[in-house]
Amino acid sequence: MKRCAKAPKKNLRNSITALVLSVIGPGTLQADPRSVDTAYGPVPVYSQPERVVTLYEGALDTTLAVQANAVGAVITRGGSDVADYIKARAGDIPIVGAPAETNIEAVIAARPDLILAAPRTSEQQYQLLSRIAPVIVSDAPLFQPDSWEQQTRLFAKALGREDAAEQVIARVESRIAEVADLVQARIPEAQRDASLVRWMPQGPLVMSAGLFSASILQAVGFQIDNNNLVKEGRPHSEPLSLENLSRMDQTWVFLATLNEDGDKALTAARQSPAFSRLNAVENDRLITVNGQLWTSASGPLAVLAILDQIETAITARQL
Amino acid sequence: MVERQHQHRLVASRAFIPPLLAAGFFLLLVILASLLNGAGPVSAIDVLAALMGAGTEEALFVVTELRLPRTIIALITGMALGLAGAILQSMTRNPLAEPGLLGVSAGSGFFVALAILWGASTTTITAMVAQLGALAGCALVIAATRVQGLGNDPVRLVLAGATLTSLLMALTSMLMLMDQRAADEIRFWITGSVAGKSLSMLWATLPFILVGLALIAILARPLAAMALGEKAAVGLGHHPGQIRFLITITVALLVGSATALAGPLIFVGLVVPFIARAFSGPDIRKTLWLCVPIGPAVVLGADVVSRLIAAPAEMPLGVVTALIGAPVLLAIVRAGRMPSL
Amino acid sequence: MSSQFTMPGTRNTLVNIALSVLMVLILFTSLSTGTVQVSLFDTMSALVGNADPMTDFVVNELRLSRVVAGLLSGAALAMAGCLMQTLARNRLATPGIIGIDNAATAFAVASVIGVGLSLAPSAMALAGAAAATAIAFGLAGANVTRGYRFIVAGIGIGAIAGAVTQVMLSRVAIDTANAAYPWTVGSLNARDSRSVLVLGIGVAAGYVTLMCLSRALNTLQFSDAVAIALGTRLRAIRVTGLGLSVMLTGLAVSVCGPVGLIALLAPELARALCRPGKIPLTAAALAGASFMLLADLLGRILLAPLEIPVGIITAIVGSPYLLWILLRPSPRSLT
Repeated sequence: MKRCAKAPKKNLRNSITALVLSVIGPGTLQADPRSVDTAYGPVPVYSQPERVVTLYEGALDTTLAVQANAVGAVITRGGSDVADYIKARAGDIPIVGAPAETNIEAVIAARPDLILAAPRTSEQQYQLLSRIAPVIVSDAPLFQPDSWEQQTRLFAKALGREDAAEQVIARVESRIAEVADLVQARIPEAQRDASLVRWMPQGPLVMSAGLFSASILQAVGFQIDNNNLVKEGRPHSEPLSLENLSRMDQTWVFLATLNEDGDKALTAARQSPAFSRLNAVENDRLITVNGQLWTSASGPLAVLAILDQIETAITARQL
Repeated sequence: MVERQHQHRLVASRAFIPPLLAAGFFLLLVILASLLNGAGPVSAIDVLAALMGAGTEEALFVVTELRLPRTIIALITGMALGLAGAILQSMTRNPLAEPGLLGVSAGSGFFVALAILWGASTTTITAMVAQLGALAGCALVIAATRVQGLGNDPVRLVLAGATLTSLLMALTSMLMLMDQRAADEIRFWITGSVAGKSLSMLWATLPFILVGLALIAILARPLAAMALGEKAAVGLGHHPGQIRFLITITVALLVGSATALAGPLIFVGLVVPFIARAFSGPDIRKTLWLCVPIGPAVVLGADVVSRLIAAPAEMPLGVVTALIGAPVLLAIVRAGRMPSL
Repeated sequence: MSSQFTMPGTRNTLVNIALSVLMVLILFTSLSTGTVQVSLFDTMSALVGNADPMTDFVVNELRLSRVVAGLLSGAALAMAGCLMQTLARNRLATPGIIGIDNAATAFAVASVIGVGLSLAPSAMALAGAAAATAIAFGLAGANVTRGYRFIVAGIGIGAIAGAVTQVMLSRVAIDTANAAYPWTVGSLNARDSRSVLVLGIGVAAGYVTLMCLSRALNTLQFSDAVAIALGTRLRAIRVTGLGLSVMLTGLAVSVCGPVGLIALLAPELARALCRPGKIPLTAAALAGASFMLLADLLGRILLAPLEIPVGIITAIVGSPYLLWILLRPSPRSLT
């Protein structure tokens, strides 16, 4: 069974490689394969892949950040295209599915020579995708402050653009230092407690402190407190009822909405008396942010975009 | 004149007053429970203290700004759905004729989903949209009962309603697939809930509900006459066609308003008249009077349950009413009461 | 009369052949349609192992498994519906209408999101189907042939099962619930290869058993007295038939979720085409498989690249027909 499955695998890949070759012409293909360590073991990758399908927002972000050519991406959560922050860079990239549901045929149609998949891609899905092109699934532990960095380095290694990745990461780190200085200068230490919340129609979800954007807030000096509402290993809490809204209250509340215009949802929320009673709202410490970027995205470009928004929010307010 | 006195005696007869009082008392208990309990940290004792004027500002806020509005909305919704179920059942002579089961709520829900898709938001939905949907659904149901043979076949009517509901739900699902952004709002709305609904929606729907109640007051007597058979009703000077038309309007007004307030809640219109009839017997006027306290008690009771079983989150109210209502449906079937009424 | 039972009848054979041809046509259309365009000729060559690796992968690996799942679940639902209609002597008594597939879904969802027993979805769906049927029959009392109680009890059971599914989904993380959404409306996209295998065995075993029982089943169309006089062991045949119907429904639901109305539409079509007097099980199975494939094909191409779950398509297409049956002034043989 296993051997039967292996035989056509090579053929399919070779035929796609041949297709790709006919497009880009033979180049550096003679080089030996590099081995990339993934969640499903070492994967051999040849030279610099030219047609990359990204099945994970963090992978698209990294691919574009290191200036590789992405030929397929998944939609952002709650949207119908890639996230707005990366739209300009991504251009009219073909959509090959949603984060939870990949359209395998669309992946094939994109004729990739490398597939960057989401963490926690199932074995079954991995096997299927591996028949099309080498698949990179990150084995970096999730919900850690440096998860995005580890993923970026892994994807960059597969893309054969490690130098570019190190440059981007260095840029991100200097930006983090800048914003951290700003926070230190403008906000007294006792007032740096914050919560990150996603606003849903059925109630707000308090996000885990290990979430990507929450770890950036912590990197620049905020203390994320989710009031023990988020269970271990979960990305967010269950929707809070209005009576429990005060449990998400901190000095700062970063409120993400997946809607195109967060203001509309916020206007709706402000009508609720429970909402306007929050300390953060009364003191103008409520910052509305784009949920596509803050609660769905990941990667170096996303960090830079988030840092910009934190900077703007702090400088725009009387402190 | 003689007829009228006879009817008055019926309404005021002894056997009828105790259950009405008991239901009223029970309703008061449920209201108290609703004000005292929630998914949040404000406990019953805090609330009592607040009501005595000695509690924290937090407790007072939770009671007056969060629990009171939803309690009022649940009361109105329950009354409207209970009464609508009672008159629809009386007119179709079918104890299973429940607006939710027959697709009236689903019609309302589908129209609201369409409105959300076209750019409205859950907070800006006008009551008119829900009313319109309810009217369309209601007209379909009444038209169906007029089809030869169907009016006498309770099961076919209910099955037709269930089919219409599943059709509308499928179309609503299509809308949700077509617009991912609207999907969250629609999905939230179609499960039914009284949490976080503002009182402004209540003011928008109140005129419709009042007209509906007034119509019921006018229609109670003709309905009772219709229960004796159409010929008897005509003999007593009523016009069955006219009455049916008015009842269609009344049910649409009540169900549309309730749906605009709380989303589609199925089974309420089944459970409430079922309990009421157990005490009142077949007389529609007694049943209607009993529905006035029982309807609010059922919906509010379900809402209290929905707050408590999933704290600190909340269970959708529509799920709780389905869990309460479906066994009642089974009980009606089991009791074999179906062909009567 | 006896000739009616023993002779297959040329009309029925013709109908079966026609339905088979239709099914094969839809099957090939399904195999060649998708984001990657494959010509009908290339599809054929891929099936006989003669195509380039990419076409081979798309046709044999991606599409064939989905098509097989649709074929089997459609046939299983149609046979289950046909059987139950015969047993209850009521054409409305199909698994969807009496709430069996909702209950099976509730149990299967419980298994998927890891509530309670850690049984496989197939086993859980079977348990759910059996539980719902037992309750429906228990409530309806001994006399199953009096249809109304049975059906209304089913609506109630379906509503409870639906609510329980919602409760379970609301208890898991929102993203998990969103991912489970296609499953709750019926979709061939969430299929699991082991469940498909189990369904395949179940359909084959069920079909063979039904063919062996067909003579006895045909006598059920008459009154009990006539059936007994014809030598049918009523109780045994009812229990077996019901068991098979529950098994087929449960297994189908574990593959495609609650896809409604196929169990009603397919036997309707089969009965309309075949000669009256015999229960058209084969024709119903073929029609059910065709309906399922066609609905899935429509769901894949209507809003492409988005996919409409097959259950939504069958509800939109099937409901008006069911309404028409119900609202027709004088139905032929309703209860």
